[in-house]
Amino acid sequence: MESQAIWLTLRLAATTTILLLAFAVPLSWWIANGRGPARAVVQACVALPLVLPPTVIGFYLLVGLGPLTAPGRLLLHILGHPLAFSFSGLVVGSVLYSLPFAVLPLVAGFQAIGPEYVEAASMLGASPIRSFFDVTLPLARPALLSASVLVFLHTVGEFGVVLMVGGNIPGTTQTLSIALFDQVQDANYADANRTALIMIVFAIIGLALVYSRRPWRDSGRQLA
Amino acid sequence: MPNPALEVSLRHQAGPLDLDVQFTLDAPWTCLFAPSGAGKTTILRMIAGLDHPQTGRVVRAPGSVLRVVLLDTDSRIFIPPHLRSVRMVAQRPALFPHLSVVDNVDYRMPPSLPEYENDDLLGPGLRLAEITGLCRVSHLLAKMPSQLSGGERQRVALARALASSFPADPLLLDEPFTGLEASLRDDIIHDLRIWTAERSIPVLLVTHDLGEVFTADAHVLKMESGRIVASGPAAEVLAPERDRLIQRLTQ
Repeated sequence: MESQAIWLTLRLAATTTILLLAFAVPLSWWIANGRGPARAVVQACVALPLVLPPTVIGFYLLVGLGPLTAPGRLLLHILGHPLAFSFSGLVVGSVLYSLPFAVLPLVAGFQAIGPEYVEAASMLGASPIRSFFDVTLPLARPALLSASVLVFLHTVGEFGVVLMVGGNIPGTTQTLSIALFDQVQDANYADANRTALIMIVFAIIGLALVYSRRPWRDSGRQLA
Repeated sequence: MPNPALEVSLRHQAGPLDLDVQFTLDAPWTCLFAPSGAGKTTILRMIAGLDHPQTGRVVRAPGSVLRVVLLDTDSRIFIPPHLRSVRMVAQRPALFPHLSVVDNVDYRMPPSLPEYENDDLLGPGLRLAEITGLCRVSHLLAKMPSQLSGGERQRVALARALASSFPADPLLLDEPFTGLEASLRDDIIHDLRIWTAERSIPVLLVTHDLGEVFTADAHVLKMESGRIVASGPAAEVLAPERDRLIQRLTQ
């Protein structure tokens, strides 16, 4: 049962990280470079999952993407099955819930890059899109790494949204954190201890990866 | 008289800065000479398209068939910086820190070059060797920017701008030689004069260093508090400054 839950958790975390980064990189770049009221509103919406209980997000996902609403019917048409109690439902919920963990480090990373690099690239004839890929993204590599690891770990450790949207179906929606909850409910403390330890190991490895990263300035020094 | 390479007219007021300048680039090398804080850098940035003037007009090659309006606030024309074909070396070198020196210089270098008769195999290498030699950075190619001194960074930034430039595209230099030792600076300016002349690249040099102006043998535009107060050969326009300097040195 545990290996099933581990595999599911890893699959969910990896899918969420990839989808979320693809979405968060342009969004963060826009926030870092934008101005005006639109930016403040978007930033507030992105940060919402930090302060809302996960059950609130889970509840509105269930209702809003259920078969009774237009977006819900569209999703039903695309996926062929309802979002609730399915793996894709978990992915949608995790992407929303982990959004700030990707966007906040990325925005900080983009803002830390001085404008002179993009200006220098434009003076060499590089279009804004070119310089984004050639200059901005490589310079934001440390922020990209922290964002990916944080999203991955946060998804591994999430509980409320997963329970609300996915329920507790072994092999389909039962992640490690929910398996742990089950084991404790059954007073099966030996198994619960093992599950909890697995999650602690995940977290330590991931966080060590975040904090051991070095800006490429130093790695450049080592290369030569 | 040949057509000017660039016709510039800018007016901008913001805080302590009060800018009102009109000039054309006629000579191969033109020098904007002014004390620090006179708005020289702002003028270059506006020509390059990195800053927006309140009112202004910048025209490339006016009076020829190649005429391009780069900026005209009256008719709402603003060509974005990367499409202006204007090369600028900024005061801060801003080398790409994740690329080695050779990759920095090579960045955006055009793949085929008319001057090497479209020798696509050897052309880029020859050009790279020529430019890095000119800027005295050939021995630094394998290093990362973080390993360079301030003066070395400035020379690499110059090399990077030269490598990406096309014939006849204006080159804007914002005090790129400040950190350099005088004899090295004079050698580079001397070689750069030949290099730009061969490609009819007009140069606009911003500086407050008399030695640089006289070495470059540039047409001087002397600025004071945002206005151009004198224009002419260095020996004429900057005679008082030169005499004051000589007097101070011989005392």
